[in-house]
Amino acid sequence: MHGGPGTWLRGRAAVAGFGHTRYGRRGELSAAGTIPLVVEAVLGACEDAGIPPSELDGFSSYSGDSADAARLATALGIDELRFTAMGWGGGGGGMGGAYLYAAMAVATGQANYVAVTRGVIQPPEARFGSFAGMAVQRYPAMTSPGQAFALAARRHMHEFGTSIDHFGEVAINARLNAASNPDARFRDPITMEDHHSSRLIADPLRLFDFCMESDVGACCIVTSAERARDLRQPPAYIAGVSMGAPRRWGGGHFWFPQTGGTGYQMAPQDFTSAGHRTIADNLYANAGMGPGDVDVALIYDHFTPMVLMKLEDYGFVEPGESGPFVADGNIRRDGSLPVNTHGGNLAEVYAHGMTHVFEAVRQMRGTSPNQIEGAEVALVVAGASPAPSGGLLITKDGGARP
Amino acid sequence: MTRAADTEATEILRKQLPLPGWSDLTAPYWQHAAEGRLVIQRCRQCGVHRWEPVEICYACHSWDWDWDPVGGAGTVYTYTWADMPREPGADLVNLAVVELDGTEGDPVRLLTWVEGADRESLRCGLPVQVAFDPLGDGLGVPYFRPRSITAP
Repeated sequence: MHGGPGTWLRGRAAVAGFGHTRYGRRGELSAAGTIPLVVEAVLGACEDAGIPPSELDGFSSYSGDSADAARLATALGIDELRFTAMGWGGGGGGMGGAYLYAAMAVATGQANYVAVTRGVIQPPEARFGSFAGMAVQRYPAMTSPGQAFALAARRHMHEFGTSIDHFGEVAINARLNAASNPDARFRDPITMEDHHSSRLIADPLRLFDFCMESDVGACCIVTSAERARDLRQPPAYIAGVSMGAPRRWGGGHFWFPQTGGTGYQMAPQDFTSAGHRTIADNLYANAGMGPGDVDVALIYDHFTPMVLMKLEDYGFVEPGESGPFVADGNIRRDGSLPVNTHGGNLAEVYAHGMTHVFEAVRQMRGTSPNQIEGAEVALVVAGASPAPSGGLLITKDGGARP
Repeated sequence: MTRAADTEATEILRKQLPLPGWSDLTAPYWQHAAEGRLVIQRCRQCGVHRWEPVEICYACHSWDWDWDPVGGAGTVYTYTWADMPREPGADLVNLAVVELDGTEGDPVRLLTWVEGADRESLRCGLPVQVAFDPLGDGLGVPYFRPRSITAP
């Protein structure tokens, strides 16, 4: 029984456990490379789920993670490797795909327990998102993701009257939530004045519109719904998961030298988006849900304007209406759609979206530091990025499958 | 036109963003620019313009194409300022996406920059016209200037 494309997977997989290292500042945990960070995170996730690490039989990751499955399988001493996947896509966008591969693998019996992993280290010589090849300074050059997303933000301001106050509200909300999260790196609240007086980096984006680079290892264990019900923690069911990009999205707002600048060829309504319009449509169809079903939204927030655009892409507001929506307090903990109750990339840690999944799981278990009373459905949105990106709907109730 | 040998000029093109780099495919783009022409790839089979340069048409998948001299008039679609340059003390520069007038197919939007505009005057919708910087070795670099300060 299924209701359309993608619906077969509905509720058949679950997140059974999660684990992570300490959340370090940039370069702080880099010395030993990503492998020990990811191994520590996987062991933590296995402990949380209540499974012996030897029973893991799959690995799934994204963004070219350097902690490869062959080494992880060996380092963890697993009995048998049965499934591996590495997703295309840039930065945190590929996270949606990493969970999709894992869910498909466990739902089809290709693996029993898949560790979805991400190890992020930011040593000075290899900072993430710092583009190579700018030795000659004769002409202007795109040198950072901030400049790419500034292009999207400026056009959104032009078309819809979005303002830096709206960006500021996203940053303020993140800090407010991080203040009660003991793991978060930035727990001091900020004011709108703090936001506006922080230094311009890529006009119209300022320091507090950027997340902070971090060193971190992170893991979630994905297993079948049946197995998850017998484990240590209440399952957080994957009601839907999808990946993709709209027509001619390509590299999104980035321009890479030589290797795939795709020339800003997306449709105008997608230029002023995070590129998630089609992902959201498929995700809601997969899960048999709509934006009105979402109790809490964990939205990848590398840059504040992209949270606004994702609120539009996922149908919480019409295109162009996200600014007034956040200005009215809707994304606060007591608002109509609490967003990033953990503090997000902006204030908790920049783990390329993995901690957004952690927080979705905590909200379903009822263990968030900022628990939303009665939360039963969490939306997780991966990064705005070169194609593909993705999203998940996580539910407390496993009975959603028709 | 054929590809020139690697020179100091082509080294600049290899390393620079937001330009389409230096390759056999893109060499004529830079060579035409030295002569004051902005050229964009156009499919000979279905007529769409395309950017960045690629071998095969996204619309009809033909390999048959040519460089089409376009007028070089366009509009600033969006922009940013590099307020934190890589090298301290560098001049403040912008990056702008310019949508060209009069092309076929999906809009042609170049990542480029606008000279002669400051933080107050650079805006979405600003009419601009291509200009060229000679790079030497028979190559040139297209960029844009506000149409209001470009001679007709």
